[in-house]
Amino acid sequence: MARGNLARAVTIGFFIVFILVPLYWVVITSIKPANDYLTTPPVWFPAKPTAVHYTAALFSYRGLQGLINSLVIASASTVLSTVMGTMMAYSLARFRTGGNHLALWVISQRFLPPVAVILPIFLLFRAWGLYDTRIGLILAYAFMTLPLSVWMMYAYFRQLPKSLEEAALVDGLSRWQTFWMVATPLAAPGVAAAAVFVFIAVWTEFFFALILTSRYAFTLPTIFRAFLGFQGAQYGEACALATVSLAPSIVLGMLVQRHLVRGLTLGALRG
Amino acid sequence: MGRAVTATPFGSTSAARRGGLSAWADLHFKWLMVAPATLLILVFSIYPLLFSLWVAFVNYDFQIPGHAFVGLQNFQQVLADPLAWSSLGVTIALSFTVVAIEFVLGLALALAMVKTFRWRGVVMSILIIPLFISPVIVGQSWALFLQRPFGPADYLLSQLLHRSVAISWIGETPWVYFSIVLADVWQWTPFMFVILLAGLAAIPPHLYEAAELDGVGALQTFRFVTLPPLAPVMLLAVTLRLLDAVKLFDVIFMLTGGGPGTATYTTSFYLYQIGFQQFHLSMATAGSWLFLILLSVVIIALVRRLLRAETP
Repeated sequence: MARGNLARAVTIGFFIVFILVPLYWVVITSIKPANDYLTTPPVWFPAKPTAVHYTAALFSYRGLQGLINSLVIASASTVLSTVMGTMMAYSLARFRTGGNHLALWVISQRFLPPVAVILPIFLLFRAWGLYDTRIGLILAYAFMTLPLSVWMMYAYFRQLPKSLEEAALVDGLSRWQTFWMVATPLAAPGVAAAAVFVFIAVWTEFFFALILTSRYAFTLPTIFRAFLGFQGAQYGEACALATVSLAPSIVLGMLVQRHLVRGLTLGALRG
Repeated sequence: MGRAVTATPFGSTSAARRGGLSAWADLHFKWLMVAPATLLILVFSIYPLLFSLWVAFVNYDFQIPGHAFVGLQNFQQVLADPLAWSSLGVTIALSFTVVAIEFVLGLALALAMVKTFRWRGVVMSILIIPLFISPVIVGQSWALFLQRPFGPADYLLSQLLHRSVAISWIGETPWVYFSIVLADVWQWTPFMFVILLAGLAAIPPHLYEAAELDGVGALQTFRFVTLPPLAPVMLLAVTLRLLDAVKLFDVIFMLTGGGPGTATYTTSFYLYQIGFQQFHLSMATAGSWLFLILLSVVIIALVRRLLRAETP
C-alpha cells in the first residue's frame, strides 16, 4: 500500500513539474531585463524585474490592437454560437428534429479538418468583402464552434426534466415562451459553461485567423508570427505577449473545471 | 419515440388558440429553432465544400485569367508529389506516436489521481492548464525552452547528466521530431487524463472492495474490474484525440516551420504551403479533398459512437 502511494505521489509530482516549468520560463522571461537572457547558468528569477517588454509587446508589436480584436471577435462569436447552439439543441433534445441525421450532421462538422474548408472560405471571403474583417472572422468562429455549443447544450437539455416545460405548455404558454421563460433559465448554468468553452476555443484559435486576416482584423495568436525564429532576440516581448494571451483563458478554464469532461467530449461523457 | 412525444403537451397544438404570425411561428417552432445554426453551417461548410469541388477540377490561379476545366490533373499533381506522400507519412507517424504516449501517460496520471487526497483540487487545476492555452503559444514556449542559446533545456540536461549537452532541438532530425512530440504531449496528455479519470471515477468502489476481499492482485483487478467499463471511454478518448492530432499544424508552424528542409511537413502544413505560400489553389484544394476522404472513414465511425453514447 505504501509503495502504491509513493508511486502515485511521484507520478503526480512529475507531471506538476513537467507542466509548470515551461510556463514558469515564459512568465519569468516576460519580466527579465535583456542582460539576463543568455547567462549560464540561466537566471531563474531576475534581480531587477522589468515591465518594459509588456509595453513593447502591446505597442510596438500591435499587441493592443490584437488584444482588442481578440476580445471583440471572441465575445461576439461566443454570443452568436451560444444563442444559435442553444436554440438548435433545445429543438433536437425536445422534438428530435430531423431524427438522428441533423444531430449527426452538426457534430461531423467538428471533425472536418479546417484545411479542407479554409481555401474555399478564403476565396469566398475575398469575393464577399469579408476578408480581413472582424465580422467575417466572427461568423467563421461562430460556425467553427457550433458543434461544441449544440452538443454541449443537447446533452444538458436531455438531462433536464421536461415536467416544468410541460406544465407551462398546459398553462397556455406558447412554445417560444416556454423555451425562453422556462427552459432557458433552468439551463442557464449549462449555457454559461458552453459559452466559456466557446470563448476559450475562439480565443486560442490560430489557423482561421492566420488565413482570413492580415493587417486589420488580426487576433492575438497571429501576432506570434512576428517572433518566428527569434532573429531579433525579442524573447521578452514574445513572452510578455504569450502571458497576456494565456492568462485570461486559464482563468476562464478554471471557472468551468466542473464541466470540463462534457466540454472535451462534446457531451458524450458527463464526468 | 415519435408516438410517445405526441402524447405529451410538446406534441399538442397549444398555438391553435392564437392567430396569425405567432400561430405560424409556434407551429413551425422546432424548425425555426434549428434554422439559424443550420444556415450558418450551410454557408460555411457545405457551400465551400461544393465550391471547392469545382475548384479542384479547374485551373484556379490568380495569375491566369479564366478557370479552364482540367479534369483530374490537380489530383494527379498531388499524387505525383513526393512531398505529399512524405507529409502524409509524417502526419500518420506523429499522430500515432503522440496519441499512444498521451494515452499511456494520461492513464497513469488518472490512476494516480482517482483517489482523493489533500490538495487534490489544486493539483487538478494545475494539471489541466495546458488545455486552455493556444497551441501557437505552446509551440512558441517550447521553442523558447529548447532552443539554444536562449533555452535552459541543454543546461538542465547537462546538470542532470554531468556532461555538456549541446543538442539542436528544433534544427536537426531526429531531435526535431522529439520536440514536436514533447510539445504535443505537454498540451494534450491532460485531455486523455481528464476523460480517463471520469471513466475511472464512474466505476463503483464496491467492485474494488470485493476484489480486495477476494485477494485479487493489482494487475488482475485492473484487467477484470477496471478495464471492462473503462474500455469504451478509452476508445472515445483515443479517437477524439486522434482526429485532432492528424490536423497538426500550429505547433509545426511555430516550432519548426516544416524544417529542417521539409522533414516535419504534416499534411495540413503541406496543403497550407501549396495553397497559401505557392498559391497553387487548385492543387491544394484537390489535396484537401483527398485528405478529407481519407479521414471521413474514421470520422463516420466516431460520430456513430458518439451518437450511441447519447441514445441510451
